[in-house]
Amino acid sequence: MSEHVIVVDLGYGDAGKGTVVDWLCAQGPVQAVVRFNGGGQAGHNVVLPDGRHHTFAQFGSGTLRGVPTHLSRFMVVDPLALASEAAHLAGLGVPDPFGLLTVDRDALLATPYHVAAGRARELARGADRHGSCGMGVGETMAYALGHPGLGPTVGDCEDPALLTRKLRALREALGVTGPAVEDCVAAYRAFAERVALVDSSYTAALLRGRPVVFEGAQGVLLDEWHGFHPHTTWSTTTFANALALLDGVPAVRLGVLRTYTTRHGPGPLVTEDPELEAAEAHNADGPWQGPFRVGHFDAVAHRYALAVAGGADALALTHLDAPVSRMCVSYDIGELPAGPPGDLDRQARLTGRVLRARPRYAGGIGAGDWPAAVADALGVPVCLGSAGPTVADKVRLSSVIAPERV
Amino acid sequence: MGSGIWSTDVYAAAASYRAASGASAFAYSDSGARTVHDDLNPYGVAARESRDSDEHPATVAVAVLFDVTGSMGGVPRTLQTKLPDLLGLLLRKGYAADPQILFGAIGDATCDRAPLQIGQFESDNRMDEDLGKILLEGGGGGQRTESYELAMYFMARHTSLDCFEKRGRRGYLFIIGDELPYPKVKRREVGKVIGDSLGRDITTEEIVAELTRIYDVYYILPAGSGYAGDSHTLAAWRKLLGQNVLELDDLDAVCETIALTVGLGEDAIDLDQGLGDLGDLGSAAGAAVGRALARLERGAPVVGGELDLRGGSGVIRL
Repeated sequence: MSEHVIVVDLGYGDAGKGTVVDWLCAQGPVQAVVRFNGGGQAGHNVVLPDGRHHTFAQFGSGTLRGVPTHLSRFMVVDPLALASEAAHLAGLGVPDPFGLLTVDRDALLATPYHVAAGRARELARGADRHGSCGMGVGETMAYALGHPGLGPTVGDCEDPALLTRKLRALREALGVTGPAVEDCVAAYRAFAERVALVDSSYTAALLRGRPVVFEGAQGVLLDEWHGFHPHTTWSTTTFANALALLDGVPAVRLGVLRTYTTRHGPGPLVTEDPELEAAEAHNADGPWQGPFRVGHFDAVAHRYALAVAGGADALALTHLDAPVSRMCVSYDIGELPAGPPGDLDRQARLTGRVLRARPRYAGGIGAGDWPAAVADALGVPVCLGSAGPTVADKVRLSSVIAPERV
Repeated sequence: MGSGIWSTDVYAAAASYRAASGASAFAYSDSGARTVHDDLNPYGVAARESRDSDEHPATVAVAVLFDVTGSMGGVPRTLQTKLPDLLGLLLRKGYAADPQILFGAIGDATCDRAPLQIGQFESDNRMDEDLGKILLEGGGGGQRTESYELAMYFMARHTSLDCFEKRGRRGYLFIIGDELPYPKVKRREVGKVIGDSLGRDITTEEIVAELTRIYDVYYILPAGSGYAGDSHTLAAWRKLLGQNVLELDDLDAVCETIALTVGLGEDAIDLDQGLGDLGDLGSAAGAAVGRALARLERGAPVVGGELDLRGGSGVIRL
């Protein structure tokens, strides 16, 4: 691998970004894995051939191979969850997980107060839940947008007096309880002393080294502006943030998809089919997100994801081992048109149409036919196929991702 | 798979970050130490000496002092993991025959517990032990000034270099930081931290003039620190040190930057050769070093530093 790569999920999440990033990091030296959206609610599963397994939330999915993680300014960072994740990684044999981390001071901080407020809000919605992960990410974004300059940032962890003021104001504004502000400040200060905090210029330095892998979170169909409102995430899930960090440096845009389409929690899933018995080792029903749902491969929805993301250079297709043979090739309402960002009323109307749409299927797709069928339906080459959780289960299908440097 | 599987317990997190796990090389700091280690305490020190010996007949003194206050963030820790490579880099390429390296740390005398920590000049890896004893202050005054002038005072008046005294060759002093010196060396602080009795405060310009007779002084502003790229900071240091103010956008290249600067100063190489050497060593630092040192590149060969007893301020032999 000789190029920078951006890994983005073109569905509702859960397609296998972690296992794809792990594979990329196994192809040759990687400078760092950069996270560029979301926060502690991500859950990217990596299984090593020796059976070690970790669900990556904030650490990059290259960590088990010793690849450093950089949490960019677009991240919502939760240092408390980061500590327990690091402890698990250390237990798996990663020598010094904190030593592998750099965090941009401008990243927002998700605190226990945001978490409490987010969970209270989701509970208050009752049956009309959005599908929150209960990690306070949306609440963090909302507070920072609604209170310019007052949202605590990672950089504030180095300034206990300022952080104390911001946390007191936050706790009051959200009207929640939680651990004492002083205790949070002490933990955040310890975090700032233990982990390397950097400025935004750090990304440019990373890009001058070996290839960098940008690891996206969630999926394009959950994007804050282009997803099916209100069942969306408070984050830009397209390539956009990664491209902003790249600042003109070229990179391969890699979209990840399964051979079938899934989603966690409420919201549209046009091809939903409870009859599909897919093996889901890592995707249990979440207490906050609701049930994990499965459907047939939805080419219409994924074409819409490609359109709003501005296209992709290549696809990685996972779950080639799943017993699926049908693909939704069209809806009775036609294709889904991409709209401009920022028009949530339009997106809500689109959601209404999608919820009423009927899928039309093509069948008879055999196990070996999936990569060609998906490339044909979406107009993007499939360069990586995966038929299981480890690197050994992956096969390179075309050379869009250039061969590694000699 | 969106999830929240990792615990967000605030007390467990604090304990976990405080645990001196992993490979933290600031062992002394991480053991909970709160005072300057005896070996690094400048109080009452007559002189830190760089001396020739049978084994090392032509020593070149190289001092590296870095800011360890809060604004520097993770920079001190990164330096701590990188700096042990410096000696090997100097020796492998023959940039200096017998380099002797001293490490030290700069805090803020107005509010820190460790305003100044100074190790010894060493010809072997013993200087790494000094690195490990450095207390990471993480405080600082938050007013964009640290006690650089106090460190410069110590280096000017409490070091003794054979390379200078016997051969008329200045040593090298690198200050890595992101803030401004105070305008004066205060007699009260000198008394408290170093133990000298001064009749008056000394302006920072005066101490720089004294210091640059003995050392080629370079200031390195690393990316990733509090005021990286801050033009105010850069301008103030350039006023003191002229072109010897370097911006380093890749902290991983700090040793290469120092080594090449010494190589250029010792007339061992020109910049292109030095960058070629880095490539030979398999170092990826070439681009960052090249940018940092671009201001120092010049066509003419280095003029050896004759003894300049008139003490002109900011002597630059480039």
